[in-house]
Amino acid sequence: MLETAIQPPEIMPSVFGPELPRQRAADLPGIVSLKVSQLFEDIAQAIYLRGDDLSVVRQATKEALDVVDMGMIKAQDSINILCSEHAFNILEGKPYAQMLKTIKDVVQERTGCQNIRLRFCAGGGITEAREIIPYFQLDSHFGGQVRGTGPFDRGVPIKTEIGTLYGLARVYDADWFIHAHNDDPREIYFHRLIDRALKPFTMSYARFETRSAYHMNFGNRSSNIVPRAIFDSPFVQEKFAFTCFLTTSPAGITGVDADNDLHQLNRRLTVNTLNSYGKLMRIFAEIDECVAVLDAGRWPWYLHAGGLTSGNLFKAPIDFMDLSVGSIRKEKGDVKLNSAVKALVINYAWRELFVELPRIYPTIVAGSALARGLAKRILKHSVVAESLQTAMEFALRISKTDKVIVFDGSYGSINLSPALGEYLLEKAPEVAQRVEEKLLPMWLLQRGIDSEAVQGPVLDRRSG
Amino acid sequence: MKKVYLLSKVDETKCIGDKICENVCPTGAIKVVNRKARVDETKCAACLECLDMCNEGAIRMVPRERPLTMGVDPLDVDQDELRALCDRARFDPDDPICLCTLTPAKEVAAAILKGAQTPEEVTLMTGIRTSCGMWCMAPILRLLKAHGLETAPPKGYRWYDVDANLWDIPEAVSQKYPEYYLEEDKKLYDESMLDNLILMLT
Ligand code: SF4
Ligand code: SF4
Repeated sequence: MLETAIQPPEIMPSVFGPELPRQRAADLPGIVSLKVSQLFEDIAQAIYLRGDDLSVVRQATKEALDVVDMGMIKAQDSINILCSEHAFNILEGKPYAQMLKTIKDVVQERTGCQNIRLRFCAGGGITEAREIIPYFQLDSHFGGQVRGTGPFDRGVPIKTEIGTLYGLARVYDADWFIHAHNDDPREIYFHRLIDRALKPFTMSYARFETRSAYHMNFGNRSSNIVPRAIFDSPFVQEKFAFTCFLTTSPAGITGVDADNDLHQLNRRLTVNTLNSYGKLMRIFAEIDECVAVLDAGRWPWYLHAGGLTSGNLFKAPIDFMDLSVGSIRKEKGDVKLNSAVKALVINYAWRELFVELPRIYPTIVAGSALARGLAKRILKHSVVAESLQTAMEFALRISKTDKVIVFDGSYGSINLSPALGEYLLEKAPEVAQRVEEKLLPMWLLQRGIDSEAVQGPVLDRRSG
Repeated sequence: MKKVYLLSKVDETKCIGDKICENVCPTGAIKVVNRKARVDETKCAACLECLDMCNEGAIRMVPRERPLTMGVDPLDVDQDELRALCDRARFDPDDPICLCTLTPAKEVAAAILKGAQTPEEVTLMTGIRTSCGMWCMAPILRLLKAHGLETAPPKGYRWYDVDANLWDIPEAVSQKYPEYYLEEDKKLYDESMLDNLILMLT
């Protein structure tokens, strides 16, 4: 059942990251691959996993857009297609870039509108836009009508039910906008899968003060009122044309979903995420000990293994899909980072945003070239090994485990050690049964969804 | 406590004086004078915001001759006042309120008790908001307001005053949207159990 390690997605060079690694963890002796479908056979199947042929994504986008009303867009109007940085991290970003290009082509064809701009919304700095836009040739596809914007750009006040919040002026500077996103659950421990499809209205399309209020002035369930208030505001509603999402499962890209009603799409997304990712999330909680290897080209919390981000391992012990679980302070002792992670090996990750990880986990940096590219405050709490191989040997020795999981951007399979592979295969039947019989119905019910009504692996526009 | 080793430097031949840098600088260190950006070396916290935002590539970072130290010792102020201020702002004094610098609420409170009146002054004194610059603004505003200070944003778009928080959500809104667990989260907070971003990560 365990196979030769799969080659992970390539890392895009970035000023946010160190020098590209010479060796990937998948190349190490003793790393093998476990297909997610062998763990849970009902995980929604992928239409795309790797390669340069993106015709299936283009076709899926066209089909999804077929049922969308674009009648509000007149030929002389301006329209912003809003995209967000994280999706360019999914399978090298190619499927998302293809979806964006296709949306532009279809809108142009159906409405005659020529003034279609792409607005790239950065997670942090606007440098992300300067790197990603040319890398995916978005500038040429959009005839140069592409601008980056980020949390520090000029804002626009948005009057909402919970007070005035600030969006990014450049996001809303057209007659219409299209919300073009993805359904990666990513930080379930923050958004709790409450209105996941609306979250970008705060965390991508808004100024930094609004983002800060979302994270710091609320609990992680109640914070989701912020994007809801923004999206439902008259200002935003007046400009919203429709939404189009790249949909995923741990197996890869499952399709594209689009709708004029974001709340309806959000409902489908919620069901699909719980169905597709729920079991994998809960089996991460079963891992009793492991070495985690970071080996992909984004911030350390956002690197995928079998389609699930590393943050979901660091936060695995708590079931954050269970909405009866509030946000509990660390003094209570049960929301710390996952103590099953015995050591962290960094082979590649962007250099910041993990100041806490090396303080908590024994951390080994794979080589001095990598160390030169990491932030000082991370190195202060880490040791530097000569190479990836020696970093792994050291990590295994100090952690006294033979279970290894590699976050290298892979979907479809998890690169791991045979010991962890066997362990997960053994645990999977019980996890599957628990999720199907107990947890999934509860998760759905907590979100007002009747589990009887959502049979089948993927809910789409027609079935949902 | 933050040590600053770098300094922003402007290439005047490239600078077009569009003031983008001035609008993103958390300390007010960079200002456009006679259509050219100028950096006050005593205030630059090397947050890289101006470097990131300048469209002309007119900014680079250079090493400082001597590092600049930013930090306030919370023990320098009256401890009862400090605790009372943190209480009013609803922070545990030891809570880190910045994800990057891990500055605790008590250090920001101490800076305010020592005279900081604006987010810029808080940053200059403590070094908070000098890395990603993003998550810690709401806590800073909460502490300033809890001290009774007017938080009037500067001209331009360096920061806006955002007030939205769990405790001030109108009751009607709270009841209209039970799916956000607003009342439950408030209760958890009162029991001193509510978690924020930083505590989630530690
Ligand atoms: S952002 Fe750049 S070009 Fe604009 S004023 Fe500042 S340094 Fe000059
Ligand atoms: S690096 Fe930061 S603190 Fe220094 S001048 Fe630029 S924006 Fe201001």
